Amino acid sequence: MFHFFSNKRLILLLLGVILLVALISFSLRDRDNVSAPEQMIKDVVGAGQMVFSVPAQFITGMFDNIDSLLNTYEENKYLKSRLEEFASVQAEVTDLRSENTELKTLVDKEADLRSYNPIQAQVVARNPDQWEEKMIINKGTDDGVSENMAVMTAQGLIGKVTLTTPNTATVELISTQNPNYRVSAMVIGGKKNVFGLIEGYDVERRELLLKRIDADIKLEKGQQVTSSGLGGIFPKGIVIGEITEITIDEFGLTQLVYVKPAADFTLLNHVVIADRVLPEVDGEDNGVIKDDES
Amino acid sequence: MKRFWIPLIGLALFFLEPVFGMFSPLTIGGDYYYVVPRFLIMFLIFVSIFHNTKRAMLYGLFFGLLYDVFFIDIIGLYSFLYPALCVAAGYIVKNIERNLIVATIIALTLTVVFEFVLYQFFALIGLTSISIGTFLNMRLLPSMIANSLFLIVLGWAFRSVIVRRTFEQNKSLTLSRFYNQ
Repeated sequence: MFHFFSNKRLILLLLGVILLVALISFSLRDRDNVSAPEQMIKDVVGAGQMVFSVPAQFITGMFDNIDSLLNTYEENKYLKSRLEEFASVQAEVTDLRSENTELKTLVDKEADLRSYNPIQAQVVARNPDQWEEKMIINKGTDDGVSENMAVMTAQGLIGKVTLTTPNTATVELISTQNPNYRVSAMVIGGKKNVFGLIEGYDVERRELLLKRIDADIKLEKGQQVTSSGLGGIFPKGIVIGEITEITIDEFGLTQLVYVKPAADFTLLNHVVIADRVLPEVDGEDNGVIKDDES
Repeated sequence: MKRFWIPLIGLALFFLEPVFGMFSPLTIGGDYYYVVPRFLIMFLIFVSIFHNTKRAMLYGLFFGLLYDVFFIDIIGLYSFLYPALCVAAGYIVKNIERNLIVATIIALTLTVVFEFVLYQFFALIGLTSISIGTFLNMRLLPSMIANSLFLIVLGWAFRSVIVRRTFEQNKSLTLSRFYNQ
């Protein structure tokens, strides 16, 4: 034992530990910026990762296809029952849409918070140790992706971009435990839209927490929650989920609402990044909030 | 070509981990289970036991650094823990017989230690708030079941590749000594 820790080795070990602590604290402090060598490593590893994840996704896609083939009969029966309903909804949507554009031209309003340019991307890797809910996609600043943009699937919002390099981007999912992660949201379906903030995630229930809603406002189970576009970067109207429970928060002043996410966070393959048409401003979406609570 | 087998397998395992990670969390009967693949570190522990601890440390440092930069953006976490586990493995087997069963047990035990250290670290910096019970049930147990299955299936292959490499190295060493004399 004493031979193992000879003087030289002990000094080396101590130096190593000091270096380690310094490195960890340094990289913990600014995790939002990536230095040039880090970017290069990320791009190279990302390219290598594609070689492995593309065939893997092809195979899982094949299994999914077989699975859906087996369910065809059941699905078809269900879809047929929904088809008639669909026709009338479709007619209503076209009617409302044309009316909406007419009204917009009437008031000279071209772009609104809803419009965005979609950027299609493929998931290259999911953080395998899963302590943080992160994944890496194959589009970066070269394709117009920038930090804090909303990321979604066909089902709904799944997260936002936290880091970008020329060819890859890191996406933090909304199921994260990060306390600084906020999305400004609204509850639709009532008489008026109700605005709040998605702040935090209940791991045991696997549901999002919607906070800062006035205690007087009456909400109902089953109402839909979407992004409000008021956070500065996300477009308006991306589906987040559905209300499952309404309670009062720990101070008794505002409501705490549990929201079941519409999107499934497992086995993500293709995602869409929403690049908002209207100029982006600081707000809850990028965590830069002016202190105006006094 | 033969000398590149070990780093190539390491690289393949490094890239395979996130591919397997994409299937996690598994849903069984409404409960979610996180399965964390730890193929690379188990392979490196095997290298440390059957081949050369110093070499394993170097590989650990390299792959740990890649892991830190690419996935978790905290430099120094994996790039410290990977070599440290290789050293620990080399130290443990100093005085015991090196066979497949011993190596498998050591690799799995050290992986449990590894998971535990990571849990403590992420709890310390506030990135996770799950209780220790949830950690054991939802993460450690399913991960270790998956990883031990992996090692039971592929452990002998790892060993044969590594032992063959060691054998070649020793042979060339003896030969070069022979020619130098």
